[in-house]
Amino acid sequence: MKTNFKKIALDGVITSNPTLKLVLGTCPTLALTTAAMNGLGMGAAVTFVLICSNMLISLLRKVIPNQVRIPAFVLIIATFVTITRLALDYFLPDIYESLGIYLPLIVVNCIILARAESFASKNGVIASAADGLFMGIGFTLALTLMGAVRELLGSASIFGIQLWDASKFSIGFFGSAAGAFFTYGVFIALFSLCSSLFKNRKKAKSYKLLKNAELCLETASTDDNKKDGE
Amino acid sequence: MASNKLLKFSSSPHVKAKRTTRHIMIDVCIALLPAVIMGIVYFGWRAAALIAISVASSILSEGVYLLICKKTVKEIIHQFDFTSCVTGLLIALSIGSQTPLYVPVLASIFAIVVVKMLFGGTGKNLVNPAVTGRVFAFISFTSVMASGWLAPSISSIAGGWATSISPTTGATILTEKLSGAVTSFSIWDMLLGTGMAGCIGETCKLALIVGAIYLAVRRVINIIYPAIYIAVTGVVAVILQSVTKGQLDLYSFFPAVLSGGLFLGAFFMATDYTTSPNTTVGNIVYFALLGILTAVLRWATGIEVVSFVILLGNLLVPLIDKFIVNKPFGYVKVKKVKEKKNG
Repeated sequence: MKTNFKKIALDGVITSNPTLKLVLGTCPTLALTTAAMNGLGMGAAVTFVLICSNMLISLLRKVIPNQVRIPAFVLIIATFVTITRLALDYFLPDIYESLGIYLPLIVVNCIILARAESFASKNGVIASAADGLFMGIGFTLALTLMGAVRELLGSASIFGIQLWDASKFSIGFFGSAAGAFFTYGVFIALFSLCSSLFKNRKKAKSYKLLKNAELCLETASTDDNKKDGE
Repeated sequence: MASNKLLKFSSSPHVKAKRTTRHIMIDVCIALLPAVIMGIVYFGWRAAALIAISVASSILSEGVYLLICKKTVKEIIHQFDFTSCVTGLLIALSIGSQTPLYVPVLASIFAIVVVKMLFGGTGKNLVNPAVTGRVFAFISFTSVMASGWLAPSISSIAGGWATSISPTTGATILTEKLSGAVTSFSIWDMLLGTGMAGCIGETCKLALIVGAIYLAVRRVINIIYPAIYIAVTGVVAVILQSVTKGQLDLYSFFPAVLSGGLFLGAFFMATDYTTSPNTTVGNIVYFALLGILTAVLRWATGIEVVSFVILLGNLLVPLIDKFIVNKPFGYVKVKKVKEKKNG
């Protein structure tokens, strides 16, 4: 069976973006997007866990009995989350500190469980790994962008680099929980708008009005095709 | 032709008043004028600039939103009903005169676009736009909004911009009271706002009362409801103060009622038709609840909470409307028959 990597990539990043289209994993999205770096760190951690758990679950998909699949998935995910936690604590203690409770909570992150349930338990190892990678990229992109916007407006910096004096102008609303919901809503709305515009543009392209001469050629060629078909 | 007029066929209501939303909102604007004038007299031209900017940005943001919604300019002018004007005025009146000029602009845009237009425009908003705009500004620009209150001075109008005023910056009387400092203002001072620091429109209570009486006479608002709000706030504040001090402290009624944004909130913000209950009993419950919350939260947090309380109350209105409903005409209440089950 040939794996359609292009479809997996498009699905993960755009058409079923876990954060903006499927609205999964909202808890870390709302809580951790106060800064772009937090979003990136969380995204990277989730991506790593997603790829590994997807691969392992895909490998074991014929071994795990159907009745106990959810506990088995959670066990596998928890293993990788523990690895991520210990590694982050050792190598990047700053990010470990700022992610706080949300790092161990990746275990119950719905994106990972949903991908395990709906993709990894039905597809091959390489496809599952690709799915995990692109879903993770979609999640990371959404979180980093949201974090960047909220950090820029809320504390006048981006990736920790101070752009102007925050005490002179910054909208504290975007740093607060209410601002998280607001930013998330605006992002979902803009994302839907962009994807609908993109779809409409595609449609308009495929039904271009033909000029006289072109129309004749077109009808002639379709007639030929018909005859060939017959 | 005359017979055609007699044969007019329509569904109820058959008798309509000529009053429209536009008329009501113009009345509210007129009622706010005394407060606007007193604000400019007390705080100088900077207050006037803040008010003008706030109103202009409110009206403009509504217009731009409608333009994006592909309405024509003619339609927009036709359906313009001064609600955005009222929102802009209320936002400007509920901020201090020391506030930077961008604050009312952002607050107005947030109030009009996010709170009002995204929910469907006038009459469909879930919460009061002006209150939410003020809360947005307050939690966003805490450092510039909650400090450096200017005390009004009559001479400031002659002195031009705020730079030439000799400002007596510091806490408002409410903050002083809450922090336990001795207030040196007489009741008359509090009523007129002389020498008191505060927001542009909230300082002179007398102007707000004049505006409220105008609204009550024009039957735009029912004066009983805001009166309940103010009275309950005062009474609960007296009880709380008496309990904390261990003795009866009747005087604390006046600073609790006459300081902070209670009058502006009670008369002009909480009475918004869209965001207050439909029934009489519901309204009494709503305004009493606002009063209790205001007094208790002021006492507990030590900051001015009127706008936050009104925002919270607005969100409770659908619940109040769900549980307190009028008996429909021609119906009787069904008595609960418990005995039958037992027997």
